[in-house]
Amino acid sequence: MLTTVIGNYPKIPDLPAPGKWRSAVEKFQKGQLDEPALRAVEDEVTTEAIADQVEAGIDLVTDGQIRWEDGQTHFARRLRGFSINGLQRYFDTNIYFREPVAEGAVAWTAPITVGEFTFARDHSARPVKAVITGPFTLATLSRNAHYPTFAAYVTALAGALNAELRALAGAGASVIQVDEPALCRHKGEYPLFAGAMRALLEGVTARTILCTYFGDVRDVYPQILDLPFAVIGLDFVAGHRNWEVLRSAPFTKDLQCGLLDARNTRIETTEEIVAAVRRVADLVPPERMMLAPSAGLEFLPHGVARRKLRALVEGARAAAAAAKGARA
Amino acid sequence: MTLPLLPTTAVGSYPKPAYLLEARRKSLRRQISKDELTELERRATREWIQIQEDLGMDILVDGEQYRGDMVAYFADEMAGFAIAGLVRSYGNRYYPKPVVVGPVGRKAPVTVEWFKYAQSLTTKPVKGMLTGPYTIAEWSFNEHYPTRRELVLELARAIHDEVVDLERAGAAFIQIDEPAIHTRPEEEFELAVEAMEIVTRGTSAYTVSHICYGDVPKIYPAMLRLAVNQLDLALKNEDFALLETFRRAPFTKDIGLGVVDAHSHRVESVEEVADGIRRTLRVIPAAQVHVSPDCGLKTRTIDETVGKLRVMVEGTRLVREELAGARERGDAVTR
Repeated sequence: MLTTVIGNYPKIPDLPAPGKWRSAVEKFQKGQLDEPALRAVEDEVTTEAIADQVEAGIDLVTDGQIRWEDGQTHFARRLRGFSINGLQRYFDTNIYFREPVAEGAVAWTAPITVGEFTFARDHSARPVKAVITGPFTLATLSRNAHYPTFAAYVTALAGALNAELRALAGAGASVIQVDEPALCRHKGEYPLFAGAMRALLEGVTARTILCTYFGDVRDVYPQILDLPFAVIGLDFVAGHRNWEVLRSAPFTKDLQCGLLDARNTRIETTEEIVAAVRRVADLVPPERMMLAPSAGLEFLPHGVARRKLRALVEGARAAAAAAKGARA
Repeated sequence: MTLPLLPTTAVGSYPKPAYLLEARRKSLRRQISKDELTELERRATREWIQIQEDLGMDILVDGEQYRGDMVAYFADEMAGFAIAGLVRSYGNRYYPKPVVVGPVGRKAPVTVEWFKYAQSLTTKPVKGMLTGPYTIAEWSFNEHYPTRRELVLELARAIHDEVVDLERAGAAFIQIDEPAIHTRPEEEFELAVEAMEIVTRGTSAYTVSHICYGDVPKIYPAMLRLAVNQLDLALKNEDFALLETFRRAPFTKDIGLGVVDAHSHRVESVEEVADGIRRTLRVIPAAQVHVSPDCGLKTRTIDETVGKLRVMVEGTRLVREELAGARERGDAVTR
């Protein structure tokens, strides 16, 4: 059973050090540091985030999204058609982002995350997963001031981001995750969502993951199994109903299983993880399961995030050993 | 105490002067004593009280010069909390996020001494400033209580005791900040309402709850059931779009009307402020309106803050004069 993470990772160390990223951004904002110097610090911190994951024993890592201010503006600022507006709360978190506004036709003009992916791949001892924010979530968390309907807006974003996925696959990304937490909050839009996902993956040759979090997929399951993703990511913490959902119809894909609470400091015990994996294993065999936190780890202070990674790996190993013992 | 029509006030925090920031850094490294730090916090408080008096504001705040973060401050002073570490809130802004590790409660009054100090500096009323139970719970990790409900209600009882002590100390205005109240409107708004009832139960002080960001339309008109006299809201940052929401159902409480954006560097014009108030008065009667910035101003520079407070006061004055003028003309017609 493999382990992975959802995406983002703390950018600064625990107190008392301010951390080089934070210091660099402050200096950059005051004009005391130029952009190449800031990018160099981001490279360094990215390398450290990857090292944390590799050292903990995570099998499929991400670059920690150190360079992302957030999942929305990182894409909106680099697509054509957007301006950036006032602060908004990110779902039910205490994280804020500036709301993108589509003021014209949105279009992909150049790779957004490809350089980030290739940098991470070149600095990681383990395989790297590329991650993008999906078109449905991007549309939900931004404002459409251009398209006649929300559906037209989502479709346009799916087309634009399809180019990004193709570029990632072309650059050698063999696993690409599409983050769609907004699906859990807007299940009534499923037909639109499904169409957007098909357009998004058109001609993309990589192994793709549909990653949901902050809720469950009740009411859109088992339909989501028809989507052309190889892996579905589910959050079993905020989406505790996913336990029942999974039982309602055979799970035919691979499962990225968000078991550890990415939003609380309490560290799950190995026993808890083994027990949870056993519950899932009744429905999805371990070889089709990747164990993960419930969401990105940037909700936690650095030291706690690192302990979560270790708990995740220990739990997965113990669960695998227990499964082997049970079969023997 | 009599307040003018459209009383002006602030949401709570003001930026800390450079000498205080420096002292806080030194204090973290234990290079200065707690007493030395407190002395500078008092100096900064005196300066902000003076600034607000000079500007002609009506209900003053102490500026929270002694607080770092609005939740961590209470967590630090109360039982049951530890600080887990820094987590990011926006851009390169981080806050020390508390973690509930045991039963929560007050060890002693938290804000009363600072309230008394600030009030001793002025004859204008100073608002007591508290963070609400829902927000403290929502912005903390919880390793102790099996349910959020238990944590929120236990915190509500503690904050209620603080309300009682503030009132005893002479606070005629008490604000309970609940910026997280609409985080889970479907699942938990009733819990937030229940918690606020506990917080303000039996008080005769005029109570305010400040709510910002998030989906305010989603909790309207339900938010009118919160057990406070006034809801203080950010109107300016979305150019008074919330007024459309308030047309849906009458705004039955007083409103603390945010007329300057707390998160932009630009100081609004006096006319802009006056215009925002005028637009509001078409929806909410003047007798129900207090005027304030959108949010705490601690992330602005001191110059930006003073600038924003000044245009707030001047814009309000302009509208007051118009209203007085209209009344006089009205009188002339009837005579």
